[in-house]
Amino acid sequence: MSSNQLTLAPAPPSEAAERVRLEVREFLAQELAAGTFTTHVDTWLSGVDPEFSRKLGAHGWLGMTWPKEYGGHERTAQERYAVTEELLAAGAPVAAHWIADRQSGPNLLRYGTEAQRKEILPRIAAGECYFVIGMSEPDSGSDLASIRTRGVRNADGDFVVNGAKIWTSNAHHSHYGIVLVRTGPPGEGPRGKHQGLTQLLVDLSLPGISVNPIRILDGGHHFNEVVFTDVVVPGDMLLGTEGAGWHQVTAELAFERSGPERFLSTWPLLAEFGRRAAATGDPAQLAVLGRLSSRALALRQLSLRIAAALDRGELPDIPAALVKDMGTTFEQDVVDEVRRVVDVPASLDSPDPLGRALAEAQLHAPGYTLRGGTNEILKGIVARGLGLR
Amino acid sequence: MASDQDLVVETVRDILSGFEPFVLTPERPWDEGLWSALAEAGLTGVGLPEEAGGSGGELADAVAIVRTLASGAAAVPVAEQLLVAGPALVAADLDLPSPEEPLTVAVEGTVAAEPSDDGDGPGRFVLTGTATDVPWAGVARHVAVLATPPAGIEGAVLAVVDASGLTASSAVNLAGEPRGSLVLDGVGVPGALLTPARAATLRARYALTRAVQISAALEQVLAWTVQYAGERQQFGRPLGKFQAIQMELAQMAGEVTSTAALVDAAVQALGRGEDTVVLAAAAAKVRAGEAVERVAKLAHQVHGAIGFTQEYRLHHLTRRCWSWRDEAGTELAWSRTLGAALVAAGPDDVWPAFTAVV
Repeated sequence: MSSNQLTLAPAPPSEAAERVRLEVREFLAQELAAGTFTTHVDTWLSGVDPEFSRKLGAHGWLGMTWPKEYGGHERTAQERYAVTEELLAAGAPVAAHWIADRQSGPNLLRYGTEAQRKEILPRIAAGECYFVIGMSEPDSGSDLASIRTRGVRNADGDFVVNGAKIWTSNAHHSHYGIVLVRTGPPGEGPRGKHQGLTQLLVDLSLPGISVNPIRILDGGHHFNEVVFTDVVVPGDMLLGTEGAGWHQVTAELAFERSGPERFLSTWPLLAEFGRRAAATGDPAQLAVLGRLSSRALALRQLSLRIAAALDRGELPDIPAALVKDMGTTFEQDVVDEVRRVVDVPASLDSPDPLGRALAEAQLHAPGYTLRGGTNEILKGIVARGLGLR
Repeated sequence: MASDQDLVVETVRDILSGFEPFVLTPERPWDEGLWSALAEAGLTGVGLPEEAGGSGGELADAVAIVRTLASGAAAVPVAEQLLVAGPALVAADLDLPSPEEPLTVAVEGTVAAEPSDDGDGPGRFVLTGTATDVPWAGVARHVAVLATPPAGIEGAVLAVVDASGLTASSAVNLAGEPRGSLVLDGVGVPGALLTPARAATLRARYALTRAVQISAALEQVLAWTVQYAGERQQFGRPLGKFQAIQMELAQMAGEVTSTAALVDAAVQALGRGEDTVVLAAAAAKVRAGEAVERVAKLAHQVHGAIGFTQEYRLHHLTRRCWSWRDEAGTELAWSRTLGAALVAAGPDDVWPAFTAVV
């Protein structure tokens, strides 16, 4: 492995980050005490609460690293990272704005037109504008370049979009989607199908768009199928460069794959388990808590380094794939390891909060290693980084 | 890595290139020639202050040396000297033996220290008992022994023992590295009292040192395995072209990379002299041990039967890693230490405790 691909510079802790961490921690303790939310597992996809998102916006905890002219706060990636971690650890309802803040906003900053940025970014930073990722399709899965949704330019220069996107989290609450469409023919050779793809910024209230719910194992609704039938997307809603969609998506995925949500989705379960271990003092439970924590600490250090690299304008896509693979495997292992050392059946109706957390984490677990690219695909990316393909 | 450390690493690699790893035996328990070459170049005193007789330099330089020697399966007690025993003696204001003579550390066993008035001045103790699992026992000229303090005193006594008059038992670890016991029969030695926190830090340094060695060795194991998979042909194509092999190598890369990030962060915490270094070291040691579990297994699997032989180089590192993960405190012990610390502040404070570790 070329060391420059996987060895990232260390990210020493900053005082500013520790300060904002404590501010968020205090805010969350107050909100919990006031009963405005209850802790759940995996809330960055299933905990939709627009009012809570607006509160975070009012505190300046969304769009943190963006320029002030777009409603941002020009703070460091480390400060943002601390805020993100605190919200995940508390199991706070952050799903409404999560994709917009993490991924779509940075995408607009990088590729958007001035008009697009001015119109949308301040609303995201205020916690009032939500996004879906329009990448995967019913027949494409992880084979993203095989998508069939088409965007055909009409006489006015607008894109007429037909097709369907699937696994679109919270499309029913969202205002926009960044939708990957085929606008041109694929090229020659094995990577030819990466050509002719384009990202469009799509207002989800446009005529011709229907959003159909897909329920997951616990009965929850965050997934959807979004169907586009002759949707006319104005030409000025092209995001970035026509035909450069593959490159743009690859950059976006480095943000998507490397964040703390890739190993902290199940932290509320681990925290509940910690409460149990504290109460029992059982050496076996304490050992499992320590062992799982050591894995989380290692992933966290790697994730912090990637955040710093992204901040420097680097594109650490291979380490990002690695964090997502390792992190989501860890999230699933948390369920297995905890249930082995506690005498508590998993049930959503359990009178024991540990039993409920186990049930939530278990029923969400199959998704951890699928969303954002299956772990097999991610391992393939790492293997390419090792020079094997 | 800073350019200073690049230079150090280059120097160590140059020296290492003249010394092949070999199978350790009771007759040849260490690489005396390599030690002499390193000592001659001043590398066995790096990171130890010049006024104490060391070569000066930063902790990062010493770590870089230890990493390079670990990935080269070097059979010399440099890690113990530069990262554990040497700094501990300096911190306790005890005289550092000449860095040209190998120094090791002993933290296990039943050694009791009593104050002595043997006429050699203050700071003298009499040590009685058996130091066990002593790395490089019988090889090291001096041993920094962590002993139980006199009754009524908390903490530990750190004492320097001249090992030349002592007999070491012949125990070795899975790689053949000496790990014998030393019987201390009322020997009078210079020593110093350590507070419980200082004693805990010494143990943590030792654990972190093993984690550093494991991390470096596993990086080398990964590199060898990737290289082998690219060269070895089966069914008409290189092993590395098989998707199943690619998945295994990617998993190894994940273990190696995440371990390296945590170990590096713990070393930085040590360098900053932070109180939390005991927990950072605990986490690094546990993580490194778990990485050994997966990386060594997969490396041997990908290498096939040749990697299972003494003629092939792989075992020089995998056997050491299997040993190092059990030394300086087991994974179970350190995972309990970490788990207990995370709940010590109260049942609702696991997360704040977690974010304070490193």
